[in-house]
Amino acid sequence: MGFRNMLRKIVDIFTSLKLTIVCLAAGMALIFAGTLAQVHLGIHEAQQRYFQSMFVWWPPEGRGFQFPIFPGGHLIGAVLLVNLIAAHLKRFRWNWRKLGIHLTHAGLIIMLAGGLFTDLFAVESHMQLANGDARNYSEDMRQTELAVIDTSGDDLDQVTAIPDTVLRPNRVIDHWSLPFRIAVRNFYQNSRLKMLSQAAEGAQPIANQGPGAMIAVEPVTRATASDERDVPSAAIEILPKDGGSLGTWLVSDALGAPQTFSCGGRTWRILLRPARYYKPYSVTLQKFTHDKYVGTEIPKDFSSKVTLIDPERSVNRDVLIYMNHPLRYRGETFYQAGFQKDDSATILQVVHNPSFIAPYVACVIVAAGLLVQFGFHLVGFSRQRRKAIA
Amino acid sequence: MRISKHFIVYLVLSCALLVSCEKNSEIKVYRVSKAPLEQSTPQQEDAMPTNSAAPRMPGVLAPTAETAVTTPPNWEAQPLSQMRQASFLAKGDNGAVADISFVSLGSAAGNVLENVNRWLGQLNQPPITEQKLGEMAQRLHTSLGDVTIVDLAGLPDNADPARDGRIIAAMVTTANATLFFKMRGNADLTEAQKGDFIKWVAAVCDSQGQTAPSQMAAALPPQTTSAPPIKWTTPEDWTEVPPTSMRYASFSAPADEGGKIDISIVTFPGDGGSDADNINRWRGQMGLPPADANAVTSQVAPLKTGDTTFSTTDIAGNKTRTIAAWTRRDGRVWFFKATGPTAAIEKEKPNFVKFIESVRF
Repeated sequence: MGFRNMLRKIVDIFTSLKLTIVCLAAGMALIFAGTLAQVHLGIHEAQQRYFQSMFVWWPPEGRGFQFPIFPGGHLIGAVLLVNLIAAHLKRFRWNWRKLGIHLTHAGLIIMLAGGLFTDLFAVESHMQLANGDARNYSEDMRQTELAVIDTSGDDLDQVTAIPDTVLRPNRVIDHWSLPFRIAVRNFYQNSRLKMLSQAAEGAQPIANQGPGAMIAVEPVTRATASDERDVPSAAIEILPKDGGSLGTWLVSDALGAPQTFSCGGRTWRILLRPARYYKPYSVTLQKFTHDKYVGTEIPKDFSSKVTLIDPERSVNRDVLIYMNHPLRYRGETFYQAGFQKDDSATILQVVHNPSFIAPYVACVIVAAGLLVQFGFHLVGFSRQRRKAIA
Repeated sequence: MRISKHFIVYLVLSCALLVSCEKNSEIKVYRVSKAPLEQSTPQQEDAMPTNSAAPRMPGVLAPTAETAVTTPPNWEAQPLSQMRQASFLAKGDNGAVADISFVSLGSAAGNVLENVNRWLGQLNQPPITEQKLGEMAQRLHTSLGDVTIVDLAGLPDNADPARDGRIIAAMVTTANATLFFKMRGNADLTEAQKGDFIKWVAAVCDSQGQTAPSQMAAALPPQTTSAPPIKWTTPEDWTEVPPTSMRYASFSAPADEGGKIDISIVTFPGDGGSDADNINRWRGQMGLPPADANAVTSQVAPLKTGDTTFSTTDIAGNKTRTIAAWTRRDGRVWFFKATGPTAAIEKEKPNFVKFIESVRF
């Protein structure tokens, strides 16, 4: 009986229209706070803390205890979605006269679910290409990965890509693909590297192997401007699984060349780099065009002529990518996103969003629902009016 | 109503599970090709990806173009990419060049008109119709079938007329593959090479037509098969290992620490870049910062062997060391390189020097 009561209470809460009002009000407050926070945090960080989270935490940074002070976007969205579906199911009574209401609700459910799925499963990355460059991977400038590459194969390198979310101080990474453990000694989300000779007096290296032994790392505050990005750095110690230590290496996005070491009879290359998404096809930039209005520096048009080559599907074709004319291929969309300041390279935004169709479908269904609903009312009203006149 | 109650509870739990998954926290393991992606310069627009996670070539025929078919003497073999079964550079007067390639794709690689219009687009020319194609295309009878040959002219904006201005291309589709032959470069040079190009296309198609299906899956040959043969004496404790596509020859020597020393011979047409560029590339491979030109010069020592003078260098990293010798002769550069644990290289250095001294061109 107790369980049944509890179940009934849960159902009552989640089917309550009061909950809808609370969620909508909380959503409005969250959007207001998140928008203000962008001033100091930048758009990406604010999105992550306020909208792509279950809770907004306080204090926002630091290793100490954190309190959830407000529901985050994921929680509000999920509760609203459950509330909408549950309330609709509880009150659902099939009636042609309510077709419009049903359609409108179905559209809203698809829109909310689509938003949640986009947030959870969409991947945005960039592909930067100079004229003549060919790439078969895109990079996520907001995510970093530690690439540990086994170079002992004759034709293929085996890459173990460890995301930065795993690289936390004092964490030891033990993975089946590696004959050693990786102990993270330091991790800086944003840092500045200086040669020891140029660093402040008393500065010490955080590594004892490779060029890192001659470099001092200074932590700096996170980049917030849209045209800036963090320079993550880490000190990692390589611990062979059969015991001992090979030393500590500094890995950083600011170090150009990868570093190598030997372990388990194989040569390994390590580097910290923007997260990569490899593709079974390549894109080659044939020509980037940047037209300006005559006599001004005001951009008129950007376009990238690329060759898409996919050996698996025997595709070899030229494509022109420009504003509102993206390339859609194998579930990914390539948009013309930007260019280097001297026009030396084009920047294509690569979006993989399995639920990109959801907002379009939702809008059509909501519009159809509203039309049907108002149509019924209009027909009813005009009939009553006709009767009254008669 | 009871079903609705349970459904609502499941809905709540599913949503909670969904939104609580942490994004981007998974360690991924994948393999990528070592071969560099071919740069699609105007001379190499048949570029194919070679770094794909699982490279596959549907319906690829045996790469006999370079090995079994005689090519004109003024065609220089170029490094192969994974999709180019043959690649040559023809040189003319006043810096004129033409890039010649043979690529094999699957049978669904587009029809002739689509490909011709793609090539016309590369020359900044408008597309043509099927009728126009019928008027301009030539037919070449081979044992693989009829090959369609087109001769297209046009100079893209900002293109160098010494390197671009004309494409002569040939295409044939068989049951399981489409073969593309293409010569693109300076208009006059391309015209002068047209006869040789068509003979080469015919010879390759005839040789492919005679290749048994079981032989068609043959591996790609090393890129240097067209390099002139050289001789050397292999030191006793070295083991010859199969060369990769980038290497002329490979050896392995044991190291005391349980590792091994990797010894390679690599050759390229041309001068292979400056000494500073090469030494800094090797330094980069060892995790060392680049050195300036003066420092690099001071690290290069000559080594005279018979009629050849090699340049040599010795780069010590933290745990690894590389010793290398190189020489340029007859329009090619030859690199001999040994990399391994520092102590092992120190021990093996006399053998490496003897090996270099034994090399005969």
